[in-house]
Amino acid sequence: MAARDDGVFDPEGVAWTRVSPRLATVRRIGSLISHLVLLVPAVVVAVATDTPWVVLLWLPLAAHLVLRLVVIGRQVAALGYAEREDDLLVRRGLLFRSLVVVPYGRMQYVDVSAGPVDRRFGIATVQLHTASAGTDASIPGLPPAEAERLRDRLASRGEARLAGL
Amino acid sequence: MTTPDPAPRPAPAPAPGDPRGAGPVEEAPEADGTWKRMHPVTPLVRGWAVLAVLLFFVLQQGGGDLLPFGGDEGGPPREYVGVALLIQLGLLGVGALLIAAWSYVTWRVTRFRVGDEVVELRTGVLNRQHRRVRLDRLQAVDVVQPLVARLTGLSELKLEVAGGSGSDVSLAYLRSAEAQRLRRTLLARAAGVRVEEGQEAPEAPEREVLQVPVDRLVGSMLRSGWTVAVALVVVAAVVAVVATGSPGFLVGGLPAAFGVAAGLWGSFSRGFGFRIAASPDGLRLRHGLTETRAQTVPPGRVQAIRLSQPLLWRGPDWWTMQMDVAGYASASSEDAGKATVLLPVGTREEAVRVLSLVVPDPGVDDAAAVLGAGLTGTGTAAGWVDAPRSSRWLDPVAWRRNGFRVTRTALLCRRGRLTRQLDVVPHERTQSLSLEQGPLQRRLGVATVVAHATPGPVTPRVDHLAAPAAAALLAEQSHRAATARRSAGPERWMTALAAEQGAGTPDPSAGGAPVPTTGEEPAGPPAAPADAAAAAPEGAAEGGATTTDLDAGATPPAVDPSLERPGDHHGWARPDGRPGTPEGP
Repeated sequence: MAARDDGVFDPEGVAWTRVSPRLATVRRIGSLISHLVLLVPAVVVAVATDTPWVVLLWLPLAAHLVLRLVVIGRQVAALGYAEREDDLLVRRGLLFRSLVVVPYGRMQYVDVSAGPVDRRFGIATVQLHTASAGTDASIPGLPPAEAERLRDRLASRGEARLAGL
Repeated sequence: MTTPDPAPRPAPAPAPGDPRGAGPVEEAPEADGTWKRMHPVTPLVRGWAVLAVLLFFVLQQGGGDLLPFGGDEGGPPREYVGVALLIQLGLLGVGALLIAAWSYVTWRVTRFRVGDEVVELRTGVLNRQHRRVRLDRLQAVDVVQPLVARLTGLSELKLEVAGGSGSDVSLAYLRSAEAQRLRRTLLARAAGVRVEEGQEAPEAPEREVLQVPVDRLVGSMLRSGWTVAVALVVVAAVVAVVATGSPGFLVGGLPAAFGVAAGLWGSFSRGFGFRIAASPDGLRLRHGLTETRAQTVPPGRVQAIRLSQPLLWRGPDWWTMQMDVAGYASASSEDAGKATVLLPVGTREEAVRVLSLVVPDPGVDDAAAVLGAGLTGTGTAAGWVDAPRSSRWLDPVAWRRNGFRVTRTALLCRRGRLTRQLDVVPHERTQSLSLEQGPLQRRLGVATVVAHATPGPVTPRVDHLAAPAAAALLAEQSHRAATARRSAGPERWMTALAAEQGAGTPDPSAGGAPVPTTGEEPAGPPAAPADAAAAAPEGAAEGGATTTDLDAGATPPAVDPSLERPGDHHGWARPDGRPGTPEGP
């Protein structure tokens, strides 16, 4: 949570909803896979050319992996969203923080998506699209029921405030 | 998705010449016109390049093969050459026939239909496409004439709608007169004016705002960074040649020189004869030397504006303006570069005039001072909020310029010390906002606020504001962005006024004569309701600015105060008509 923050990313009177901690598990699995995949060519080369030290080249990646595994938990904890009367707030990031505010009336459409691993762990991503490509209002790590509720809610609020572009 | 029609149409006044009366606006969006085809010459105009290449090939081959006929030393036997030539010509002929057949079929299946609510376009031979565009979602209408089309008296009519790439509807090619007529009809219908089938939509009156003289266009190009770069390269090359005595350096620079020349020619050709006019239909831009383009951007469709001034334009105090229009983002990048220029080069006074046209209500009392500080100023003059001194580590050159000013109607962001920039975003056009902070920024206690506009050249943002100021801006701006739209005008810009007038409807028949084709001011009475509407409190109060002024000009029965108003409406200029004076360092 933004405890040591000077409040910049914590507007007054906003009750943040956190995303599911299962998102951290999913992201850890993804990170693990992407790093381990790179171990394969190293091992192949090491075996084929009989130069076992080649595997050591993977070590920096291993260090990065450990770092990722630690950081992912905190990153997921930093993710939050809040539905206000007129707009949706999405907050993310530890090192590079961002807070996106999207008025419901500007919403063009809402996406709900879930990959295979996401589905296995029971989470989904809700993404709000406006007419601007710059709007990055995606909320990952929502339980499917909450994702659907949010989608319907955003859609209905958007409709009530709809005003073209 | 149905558009809430904010202007319930009153019962149509019985008018002569209109037996049917005005139908309801919210009919099923069916195009009820007849299917029409493009002009038959279209394939030739589209494929003239292919044709030229083919012709060139034939002539070259033919010529090359015919030449050896004269002497028979070393060449292949006569009859052999003749047969080869015949085969070649035959193949070419078959190819040409195939292409011609394909072009004919493509032309044959491409049909369009214009209804009251929608335009439909059918294209494609193998992959058929049937596109239907709602007219109230029209973002801009362009009439484009490439050189070949101009020679043949044809035009392309482009209907821009917001959407992904390739979402525009291109009707190419039509007879120029037909394209103009269709443009008028579409704009009138998009505005909510009902045009009966077979009835001619009137041309909305327009008032010319400014022209860009050719000498200034050339001057602006001479003062561009490109020219300086070219001069430096030439000097370097000459020095190198003189020093080494070998002309190789000059030859080496040729491709670069060609590239620069092409770029310069492109911007000259685009900006040539640039004219801006105001009409109830919105902004009219006309420009182009070889390829001419006449753009119409209806009221409220400009999402954001950027004024910028390269270093060398400071002497004459010239500015260039770009705009974000949702429809133009979907055009190809090359096309978008042509369409998003609001003013290629203009004096500050002209830039202010154009700005006043697009954002008529500055939303502040001392607009000229605010604008002056935004264009050239630094610090906190005229109510600007600037970046703190600590941000000099992140932006050593321009940190003093970074800043913003919020007025009742728009957000202004300024930046850039060498190339000065000022972005103006009406509140009701802000799509979303974000606050961003990297680790360095956090150490220095600053943060960046980004306003998201529709895709385009203008990307408004304020870098490195003091963190509390940034948070405050985000809070205030998100509130404004969410609420400003409530008072904004309707998608069909002419319906607003009709609703306010009560008696009138946007139906041209109800108002007797439709909008006249000339801009002359009618005497007395008709002007009164329009003035009243322009002064109506709602809409003018907050956010509705973009639409208020032009809407006021959109009264069906003839008036158009917008054509007269800028005289008594100062916009962003000083009351005495002078733009803000520079307040630079």
